[in-house]
Amino acid sequence: MQPEWMAPWLWTLILAVVKTIVVIAFVSLNAAVLIWLERKVSGHMQNRVGPLRVGGPAGILQSVADIIKLLAKEDFVPQRGDRWIWWLAPSVAFAPAFLVFWVLPFGPHLVVEDFNVGLIFITAVTSFTLLSIFMAGWGSNDKYSLIGAMRAGAQLFSYEIPMAMALVAVALATGTLNLTAIVEKQRHMWLIVPQILAFLVFYISSVAELNRTPFDLAEAESELVAGYHTEYSGIRWSMFFFAEYTNLLTSSALAAILFLGGWHGPWLPGWAWLLIKTYLLVFVGMWIRWTLPRVRIDQLMDLGWKFLLPVSLVNIAATGLYLVVVR
Amino acid sequence: MSGAWLAFAALTGMVLYSGYKVVTSPLITHAALYLATALVGVAGFFLMLESEFLAVVQVLVYVGAVMTVIIFAIMLSDVPALQGDPQATLVSRLLSRRFGSVPALVSAGVLALVLIGYGSVRWAAAPLGGAPEAVHPLLHDTTAQGSTGVIGRALFTTYLVPFEVASLLLLAAMVGAIVLTRRERGAAEKAAAGKAGAGAAAAAPAVEGAAEERGGAQFWP
Repeated sequence: MQPEWMAPWLWTLILAVVKTIVVIAFVSLNAAVLIWLERKVSGHMQNRVGPLRVGGPAGILQSVADIIKLLAKEDFVPQRGDRWIWWLAPSVAFAPAFLVFWVLPFGPHLVVEDFNVGLIFITAVTSFTLLSIFMAGWGSNDKYSLIGAMRAGAQLFSYEIPMAMALVAVALATGTLNLTAIVEKQRHMWLIVPQILAFLVFYISSVAELNRTPFDLAEAESELVAGYHTEYSGIRWSMFFFAEYTNLLTSSALAAILFLGGWHGPWLPGWAWLLIKTYLLVFVGMWIRWTLPRVRIDQLMDLGWKFLLPVSLVNIAATGLYLVVVR
Repeated sequence: MSGAWLAFAALTGMVLYSGYKVVTSPLITHAALYLATALVGVAGFFLMLESEFLAVVQVLVYVGAVMTVIIFAIMLSDVPALQGDPQATLVSRLLSRRFGSVPALVSAGVLALVLIGYGSVRWAAAPLGGAPEAVHPLLHDTTAQGSTGVIGRALFTTYLVPFEVASLLLLAAMVGAIVLTRRERGAAEKAAAGKAGAGAAAAAPAVEGAAEERGGAQFWP
């Protein structure tokens, strides 16, 4: 594919730019679809009327109107904030959501970058989220933002550990860290069957890490205005929003890839199966959000440290024992 | 000039500049963020050496764990107290024990240790972006999954004892942290009772304490 006259590094650079544009386009489209889906799901579940003026078929134009509104809004900058940190935080928030996408395999050869250590790569890049939350909370120079950032940080930190432990069990069971290879191992049996505990721990932790209800203490409107992004408006605020929806998509896609057999399925092409499984999990995430009330902070910490972490450790021990004894 | 040279120059500039800013930033929050940048830059070096496992673990451990702890420490502490005397000059700052001489001595010691370590190992010389002259025999192991397998195997065979000692050390540190931060149940309640008892009737805090004892069952205290 590479033309003769081109230096290899230039070719790599061009490929990287093209791949980035493709991923950003997909992620943007997904965010618009998810905003629409969230409105629909919440409207039907809580039996309430959504926005009515901008209709289109099934209210699909509302997302477009929202995007135009957010782009055109005034960009308010807090006067006494830490300007640079405040300014960079939304980009840092979006980067991990977007980077995870690079290693997700949509088919046997349909992956942006077939990374050998994809599983650790995911846990590594998601750790930038905490940095962005801290930057937003600190840079805003506002008590609500700082308290929200503290809460979000504590929450992320507490649920990152059980999540990583669940991933360790996956790596043990499949014997690889490469996501494509992990899906390949599930040809005959989905990993959710032997690793049901890991799946539950992973899914609960990923919902908790998204800071969505019932785990939305970090942006509890009734107490903290909007948490760490209180001082953001317009396009910068929408970057955080964008990151949240992309994270919802990537964590669902990851659960589908690791536990639900990824692209495996009859009749339909692989990428279609993965998208179906992913959006099914996205729907479950929205279902959880619109039916459960917010948990208290002590319940949140208890669930993470006293329940999910021991369960995932027991799961690792059991998986290891199985590997040693049976094989 | 090749792409590898450009990437190397950019990474080196990033790491050196952020390292400089870590030491000279007047605000400790800025220093923490520059430290994170420098550590990510080091992960870039590992990637350039085609050691993807080390690169990813570098980010995971340093940005994911160490930076998290540093950031929490900053958010929970009194930032002006960490800054020291704002009127201090460079010389007086270097002479002060807490902000200058002791940290400088410790850093110099660690640097010397690292340099001695580097000096005692014979490194395989390789031109930038080219193949190494001599490859370590472990790297010829085709059964392993790239650098991950090599490191994993070495960690659990050759370096098993240092690995276990390091984990014991971390465990001891963890126990120490719990001991340091653990508050006696009775002491905390007594302190609360003392505060409340100054104005209110002595019976009220006792009732509150009893409600707390029952755990989270009671929604409204």
